[in-house]
Amino acid sequence: MNTGDGPIGAPGTDDSGPSDADLLRAHVDGDREAFGELVRRHRDRLWAVALRTVGDREEAADAVQDALLSAHRNAARFRGDAAVTTWLHRIVVNACLDRLRRRQAHPTVPLPDGSRSEDRPSGAEPAAPTTDHETALLVRQALADLPADQRAAIVLVDVQGYPVAEAAEILEVAVGTIKSRCARGRARMALALGELRGRDSGHAARGNLRAGETVPSGPGAAPPSPGGHERRDQR
Amino acid sequence: MTGAEFSGVDIDLLADYIGGALEGTPDESAVATLIAEDQAWREAFETLGGRVTFVRAELGRFSPEPMPADLAARLDGMFSAPALTLVQGEAVAADPRRRRKRWVTPLAIAAGFIAFIGFGVDYLSGRTQQADDSAASGVSTQSESAISALGETILATGTDYTRATLAIEPVRTLSDPPSAGIPAFGESGTQNQDRATVKEPTLDRLAVRAALAECFLAIERQNAGGSISVTTVDYARFNGAPAVIVRFTAANGGWAWAVGPGCGTPVSGADALDKVPVR
Repeated sequence: MNTGDGPIGAPGTDDSGPSDADLLRAHVDGDREAFGELVRRHRDRLWAVALRTVGDREEAADAVQDALLSAHRNAARFRGDAAVTTWLHRIVVNACLDRLRRRQAHPTVPLPDGSRSEDRPSGAEPAAPTTDHETALLVRQALADLPADQRAAIVLVDVQGYPVAEAAEILEVAVGTIKSRCARGRARMALALGELRGRDSGHAARGNLRAGETVPSGPGAAPPSPGGHERRDQR
Repeated sequence: MTGAEFSGVDIDLLADYIGGALEGTPDESAVATLIAEDQAWREAFETLGGRVTFVRAELGRFSPEPMPADLAARLDGMFSAPALTLVQGEAVAADPRRRRKRWVTPLAIAAGFIAFIGFGVDYLSGRTQQADDSAASGVSTQSESAISALGETILATGTDYTRATLAIEPVRTLSDPPSAGIPAFGESGTQNQDRATVKEPTLDRLAVRAALAECFLAIERQNAGGSISVTTVDYARFNGAPAVIVRFTAANGGWAWAVGPGCGTPVSGADALDKVPVR
């Protein structure tokens, strides 16, 4: 279920209003309301990306606020090479990654707690009968335990549903790098999920996931060219 | 499938193959060959492929996450503050008493959020009343100040500084009482002892002692003149934009810096808008 805060596809245009680019230009030209309108358009998506990347509501709020202040101040530097939303996401994600890097000395990422009930599925979903509350929590923990770069890529592509190419633009890396980060992150999650389920529930994980498995380092396979076919990553 | 069986397989390489990251590279065919000819790789491929599919399905089931209302309101306040209108001003003079401008609030305030720039409702109301009373009368130079626990003077004059006036310290008279609205950091009897009361929403973050300390550190780093000794902090404006004016001394002299709301953040550093030496 990815409604509400998924990708927007085309650069923000609204049949009844100015485009994102128009709003940003107006802001640069001195329109005091334009940037606020731009933020209102995209704040839910930016928040969702920040929250799921940072894993902590307070830090995510600070990251979003800092990032938008920076965007507000540096709007004149936007050259139009990417969509305005891509630019905004890039600033927010970078703010999140900066915070995660500064937090490296404290590798534990807060788990979802009672205040995050809205994170959780509200109930059984007919289309996904195997999903349960415990699994949802474990998936969130496995995501939170990923290296920051892999987590950011997975949040953009698998959680928020952005195309791989757009995620690559946001993170300013090659498409193949996004594919690799997503692929390795998913594999880590798959193995970690087995470990977490085994530890927390004491029973074998779904799909025969096992505890204690680690992901060996690969030989550093070169990512394909950015124009490569996105067979499994493209949503 | 056991962990031991997995141990014979390069999981990262296999994950890249499953995720399409090897397409067009020599590794793609190499892994395909391993899967076809090596039982361990084949079993790992089948198992990991299933697990990855499961993980992706679970990730796709994350529910929408709208921005919390309080954060949304804060951002609204930061970026949609009603404009102030200069109705009467005086040419910038050397005497800060004479260069204070009078402002009136716009007729309409954005519904749902009061985001007055300057000192907040009370201050602006007072200023507006002054402006209404008599355009010819002198303008009060009352400034609100307090001495912080660390010794610097905390001000919220709301002055709109320019490069020409940045070095001029705001005038405070002995009769100026410490402001109830701008309590010192650490002042006893306040609820938020690590926080000054600054009702300019964009500067709200810097009203927190810890954030202001980060800002000082960022200034110190950028100034590159050794440790700085801050004398005054003024929550004000610079060229019309919300700014904190930080006056300090360091090994390279006395300075007045105008810094933006991002001061002290990793993204913005000191967020310096301008700086002038103070002699």
